[in-house]
Amino acid sequence: MGKGIGVGYISLIVLIPLAALLTNAFNKGLVSFWTAITQTEAIDALRLTLLCSLGAALLNAVAGTATAWILVRDRFWGQGLLNAIIDLPFALPTVVAGVTFYTLYGPLSPVHVNITGSWIGITVAIVFVTLPFTVRSVQPVLESMSFNAENAAATLGASSYQVFRTITLPTLLPSILTGTGLAFARAIGEYGSVVFISNNLPYHSEVASSYIYSLATSGQTNAAASVAVFLLMLALVLLAAFNITSVQLAKRHG
Amino acid sequence: MSISLNGVTKYFGSDLVLNEVSDEVPQGSLTALLGPSGSGKSTLLRIVAGLTSLDGGHVELSGRDVTDVPPRDRRIGFCFQDYAPFRHLSVFDNVAYGLKVQRVPRAQRRREVDELLRLVRLEPFADRYPRQLSGGQRQRMALARALAIRPEVLLLDEPFAALDAQVRSELRTWVRNLQRELGITTILVTHDQGEAMEVADRLVILNEGRIEQVGAPDHVYDHPATAFVRGFLGPTTTLDGVTWRPHEIELGSPGETGVAAHVIDVIRLGFEVRVVVKDHSGSTSWVQLTHEQSRRLDAQVGEAVVVRPRAEVFEVL
Amino acid sequence: MKRPPLLLRIGVLCYVGVLVGVPLAFLFQQAFRRGWGAFWTALHDHTMDSALILTAKVAVVAVPLNVLFGVGVSLWIVRHPSRFTRILDRLIDVPLAVSPIIVGLILELTYAQNGWFGSALSALGWRVIFSTPGIVMASAFVSLPLVSRQVIPLLRVIGDHQEQTASTLGASPVRIFCTITLRSIAWAVIYGVTLTLARVIGEYGAVLVVSGNIAVVTQTLTLNIGANFENYNSYQGFVGAVVLALMSVAVLLVLSIARQRERRRSEYLA
Repeated sequence: MGKGIGVGYISLIVLIPLAALLTNAFNKGLVSFWTAITQTEAIDALRLTLLCSLGAALLNAVAGTATAWILVRDRFWGQGLLNAIIDLPFALPTVVAGVTFYTLYGPLSPVHVNITGSWIGITVAIVFVTLPFTVRSVQPVLESMSFNAENAAATLGASSYQVFRTITLPTLLPSILTGTGLAFARAIGEYGSVVFISNNLPYHSEVASSYIYSLATSGQTNAAASVAVFLLMLALVLLAAFNITSVQLAKRHG
Repeated sequence: MSISLNGVTKYFGSDLVLNEVSDEVPQGSLTALLGPSGSGKSTLLRIVAGLTSLDGGHVELSGRDVTDVPPRDRRIGFCFQDYAPFRHLSVFDNVAYGLKVQRVPRAQRRREVDELLRLVRLEPFADRYPRQLSGGQRQRMALARALAIRPEVLLLDEPFAALDAQVRSELRTWVRNLQRELGITTILVTHDQGEAMEVADRLVILNEGRIEQVGAPDHVYDHPATAFVRGFLGPTTTLDGVTWRPHEIELGSPGETGVAAHVIDVIRLGFEVRVVVKDHSGSTSWVQLTHEQSRRLDAQVGEAVVVRPRAEVFEVL
Repeated sequence: MKRPPLLLRIGVLCYVGVLVGVPLAFLFQQAFRRGWGAFWTALHDHTMDSALILTAKVAVVAVPLNVLFGVGVSLWIVRHPSRFTRILDRLIDVPLAVSPIIVGLILELTYAQNGWFGSALSALGWRVIFSTPGIVMASAFVSLPLVSRQVIPLLRVIGDHQEQTASTLGASPVRIFCTITLRSIAWAVIYGVTLTLARVIGEYGAVLVVSGNIAVVTQTLTLNIGANFENYNSYQGFVGAVVLALMSVAVLLVLSIARQRERRRSEYLA
């Protein structure tokens, strides 16, 4: 009986609504779906979202790996605090981040930096919300990694850089990819932290989720559903692609 | 309590893991289920405990059919290979768990757990947690926990496999003595024939889901019913197409009766010496000698010898 | 292996400092820039208090539902695997890849007046969208996998031997669940509950779509903060934001304690 309740719960909240989305996206036919996702405004919003998300995910792939490295292999005062604060973007409501960034780097910025209404502002907001993904996925792998292989390479005359390039990085790569994939998927759909700083200028600084929202609130339900299906598929495909590559890499390294 | 298995059959998917296994385990015996990995021995043990369902046949405890009785109503003590300590409970609370379930009053519980801890020599560790114990101590804790409910049957799955050699041999002796003292019917699963021979008074040898042979260790060793049992229970060597144990054959000087051969290696293993020989047909076999015999014989690599069964073996046969 | 270069440490500290530390400090500075008195008055703003109460109500319903679901489904997936649970295992993480706006949209398509179940619901006199049930559903959707993602891997590592041993010692299934299973996964559950709570309280996009964002009636605290900003009342917005930020700090504290407890366990398991 418990199983029935569980299935019912996930159906009511997730599965049936997702089915409703699919029917609304396609009930006017494939042509209408295609028209909706190829509107100039849609293409601009999707392109902006993808580029900013990709940029943020890549930046955090590098910075996140460095952060995990510092957390596992360095010892310094305040390390515990750093470790705890990494999760802040998970814990802090997106709207709080959104309004804070808007005020800090907006028209009334106390540091006289205005990045609202541009791809830079959007990317900064996304970098913030996706910070923990790579760190938390690389950290456990680094912790469980023994120094033996690295030491062996060093005794064979490899430089620190060569050791990192040939031993450490290949071991960490699957987890870096997993983290980056999660960050990417999250970034593509991000709304609360981005909506304030982006100013939502159509064709210019409007992200995909904002565009879907404006379609939905102006009664264009089918178009909203079509773009939503496309965005959702994109997120799922990217997530799957990152995961599959990560698993393949992990297999190759035994 | 005696255990009787009648035609026990089990499939995992389409794989037949137990094929109509039948056996009578007498009251008070210590039976070793011995077999290579994948022979179905652990599955059989779990079936006796009720932890795995069966697809055919039935299980009786003292004549009572328990096939459909859940494990908690069977009064059996079961120890896993990894000991499955309750990690969040102290040693005392681990052992007390079954008594608490039975609503044994607090004072009596305390008394009984103290007594069990004394029995397994863990009194000083009552307040520790499993992570603070060594492997051997964890194993003894698991035994005490199983014994607390005064089970009529004790089932041990590879109880010594996770221990290092020294602790393993100590615990083997200790478990055997404890079992004799308590007189509790015990089944132990092992893949180690030496362990089975040393501890058990009864062997059940399983291979590919079937019983190959049942009997006292000495009897099974000396009179293996099948080639599998002979091969599994100890090293064998072939002489003129007949299989012998290495200690059943001896070396003689050329010209005496026996199979002509020459020495190709002499391996010294402390108290015993193995002389590896190759006969005229090109097949190799080895002869086990004591240190003393070896010194007398003084076999050299390349030397010609004859190999023959020992005289006393013939007398037995 | 030697320690990482000092420059890397400085770089990481600057990165995290600029990205997380500076905005957090700025947020507190903004909320307290008019002193304690003004802060105190703003804290008693009627609209904000109504929003806070609604957020609390939503959390009280959505979090327990998701925790029950998360623990139950984890046990099902790990302890009774079948073809069906393998599908479920995949499906359960999907909400994390769905944009909050899409979450709101699809709930609307299903439960709004002109949605799939719209007429059935109005016939019963029930209102889901633009009402509290819709907000609960949106919050439950976005935080659905947060408990099971913590519990499933732990259950796999622990195995079922402890539970089976307890059953041979005479314990009933309920007793085994309470005294063995739940105790073994307690810290993972606490971790998951904390993440769920943070996500439910902090959800913005999904709730924005399904609630209608009517002040005092269907406005949660996050919506209230957003609305204050759009209405050029940023000070009031920052006061609300600080309330949520303090919650986040508490969440971080619990997460870091739970993580330490978990690590102690995993050291033993290794």
